[in-house]
Amino acid sequence: MTTVARTLSRSDRLASTSARTLLLLLRARAALVLVLLIVVFSALTPVFFTANNLSILSKHVAISALLAIGMTFTILTGGIDLSVGSVAGLGGIVAGYLIAHGVIIHGVHHYPAMPVVVLAAIVVCLIVGWVNGWLIARAAVPPFIATLGTLYIARGTALLISNGKTFPDLGESSHGYTGFTVLGQGQLFGISVPVWLTIVLFAIAVFIARKMPIGRHIYAVGGNERAARLAGINVARVKIFTYLFSSACAAIVGLIIASQLEAAHPATGESFELNAIAAVVLGGTSLMGGRGTITGSLLGALVIGVLADGLVMLGVSQFWQIVITGLVIVVAVAIDQLQTRLQARLLPYLLRSNPEAGV
Amino acid sequence: MNFTRTNDVADLEVLLEARNIVRRYPGNIALKEVTFRAYRDKINVLIGENGAGKSTLMRILAGVEEMDEGQIFLDGRPVQIRSPKDAAALGIAIVHQELAVLPTLDISENIFAGRELVKGGTVINRVDEDRRSSSALHRLRKPLPVTTSAELLSLGSRQMVELARAVAHRTRLLILDEPTSALSMPEAESLFQVLEEMKDAGVTIVYISHRLHELMRLGDRFTVLRSGQVVGEGTRGEVTRSWIVERMSGRAEVEHVGRTSVMTDAPIILRAEGISLPPSFAGEETQSPVDHVSLELRRGEILGIYGLLGAGRTELLEALAGARQITSGTIYVNEQRARFEEVRDALRAGITLVPEDRQRDGLVPELSVRENIALMTSSGIVTSKAQETERVRELVKQLSIAVKDVELPIGSLSGGSQQKVLLARCLMSSPKVLLLDEPTRGVDVGTRAEIYRTLRELAADGMSILFTSSEIEETRLLADRILVMCQGRISAEFSRDQLTDEMLFSAASPRASAVLNITPEMIV
Repeated sequence: MTTVARTLSRSDRLASTSARTLLLLLRARAALVLVLLIVVFSALTPVFFTANNLSILSKHVAISALLAIGMTFTILTGGIDLSVGSVAGLGGIVAGYLIAHGVIIHGVHHYPAMPVVVLAAIVVCLIVGWVNGWLIARAAVPPFIATLGTLYIARGTALLISNGKTFPDLGESSHGYTGFTVLGQGQLFGISVPVWLTIVLFAIAVFIARKMPIGRHIYAVGGNERAARLAGINVARVKIFTYLFSSACAAIVGLIIASQLEAAHPATGESFELNAIAAVVLGGTSLMGGRGTITGSLLGALVIGVLADGLVMLGVSQFWQIVITGLVIVVAVAIDQLQTRLQARLLPYLLRSNPEAGV
Repeated sequence: MNFTRTNDVADLEVLLEARNIVRRYPGNIALKEVTFRAYRDKINVLIGENGAGKSTLMRILAGVEEMDEGQIFLDGRPVQIRSPKDAAALGIAIVHQELAVLPTLDISENIFAGRELVKGGTVINRVDEDRRSSSALHRLRKPLPVTTSAELLSLGSRQMVELARAVAHRTRLLILDEPTSALSMPEAESLFQVLEEMKDAGVTIVYISHRLHELMRLGDRFTVLRSGQVVGEGTRGEVTRSWIVERMSGRAEVEHVGRTSVMTDAPIILRAEGISLPPSFAGEETQSPVDHVSLELRRGEILGIYGLLGAGRTELLEALAGARQITSGTIYVNEQRARFEEVRDALRAGITLVPEDRQRDGLVPELSVRENIALMTSSGIVTSKAQETERVRELVKQLSIAVKDVELPIGSLSGGSQQKVLLARCLMSSPKVLLLDEPTRGVDVGTRAEIYRTLRELAADGMSILFTSSEIEETRLLADRILVMCQGRISAEFSRDQLTDEMLFSAASPRASAVLNITPEMIV
């Protein structure tokens, strides 16, 4: 077989090199687009590349990046989590309720401490995540349907808890509370807490994906679920984990927003899931599963954030922004398909130039 | 050849015994009280036709499938194998027939998938994994870089990665389910050497294959399965090729069907001349699934194409039915050149195909029996339901499909009846040529006989029938004339009176097929 490699014709080698380059460019598309956007917006409007604007931008990006990071694992297994926006809303409402009303035990109002409030909101969201995972992994409900169902359930529950109203004034320490505003408004070393949270969760997710067995299992399940099962991987557990992780990220987003606004509104997070999916796909993760990275999703979120922010600064109508966001999603998926097809077509070239792999 | 054996055979020789294993599927029994022994430090060969139950048995041992009855003993002690993890913990490894490589992981990740080496309980120890993966590949004489992505590997290399999984872990029993089907000759050769080495190093091997010469060369112990039962056991030296083939194919389970003599001067209805399909990409080697195949089918003739899995039979039939584009060659219908762009073109020419996988390619589970039968012909804008129902009822009667009401959902029928429904669908269009891909897969014996009889009747009425089969018995029972296909080519042709089982089987085995236009004298 090595003789084949040695007798490679020049044109083959050329084709193989350009094939590789093309694929590399496609894979790095999010980073390329990001750089391009930053250059263009900086050139068009002087206020874009200022510390003040970047700080605002980073807060916006943090929200969609957190959701995208959570979403990535579910998409890597070949699933999807449509419920994240509603779950974020639910998380905020749970926190808002606990801060505004406390818990009544034996007729006495108890106001739990701040860490307990945060924990409670996360736990409630994790329950939704577990239900998602259970429905998908154990009851074999297609991920799209299962999470569409919990999208409604979570949103409805949030509305029920608040009776459709907003819990206001969460920043005021009327019941001896302080500190809820830190989550959304605090700063550490000049960087806002939401951005820190994004960095921490990003690091955790990358660690899981690259260093932990469960991370490898996520890729395995998405690549070939049957084979993963045959290899002794607990497929159900892997899937449930991804939905739990996604819900945890959504919970944090809900808390950040409630903290930023100092109010919990039951409609918070509507259609956030679409932004998150767009970011993930833009970041090069295949909707078929098995292929993609956390870093890509972060880049995807940055692209969408920068695009929205830049368009605002340029004074583009908000309606156009919606159209453009839609275009980005469609083009991203089309490119994803193109990449898959191209990869299949170029496989012979890729193999031929890598004799050890092909033999 | 000890067909009756006592229970107190030196048990020390037996590493694993699966005793009285029963496995039922809806509609048929895959394993009927099978007792299988894997002898310590031996290569234990398991032989049988497609559907004999070999893979089912092995999947049970590997924890992929559960048994309904029976017990498994390892070292004489009963063990429970409920999941692939259980099997792995007992040192049982399997290389599956359909490759179970994880495409988006690299080689090292594949080898340790599900059994990662971790340090501190959480972090993957990539260094140790790579080292052990690399040494496993070296033992297999396949020193691939362990960080190569699995999707870039050829089929043969993927096979080696699966084997490396077994080598890298403590394996006592290694099961290989048709391991050489994806390998080139030199790759297969090095696999055999590795297996001998592993055997000497104390690994017990269970080897499943269709290739007789491999089995004869490797096997220390032989077990033959047929229709879910053990029909023969033997050891090296006492087992011969003809013994194996005799056991495998069995005799006269289905009554012989009456045969009309075909006029050799009947007009040729369908003729294929040197047709080829685009090569499928398999690593370094590209092979065409159908490679310059020529055949002719006369009016009222039943032509059988015998071949093993992957011989290209399905692809050939699909090409003749317009479901695949041919790259070269010509198809003639009634000696007129025909060009099939799509299935509709073939249908218009009077050619229709009953596909092999009726669940995937045939039936629409949500529709009723009537709607399934009428699916192909209900292309008009308005379908006259009365007319349609009448014709459907006729066909149901003609094929004696066991259904009370044609409006019942297709899912309520047995496998055999579903197959008849598919046949009925094809007959709705009153074809001149009927193509059948494995016409009785997963069909019980009684229904088989009925299907054979129906096909005979159709042929007697002048329909031309071309079927493929991987069962010797079926091919011999049904066909007037037999072509043998192997690796995309026609490797032999026999008239039905001419051949023996072994001739058929040898012609279908890839090595024998190196000789083209094989004659009976050459095989014996």
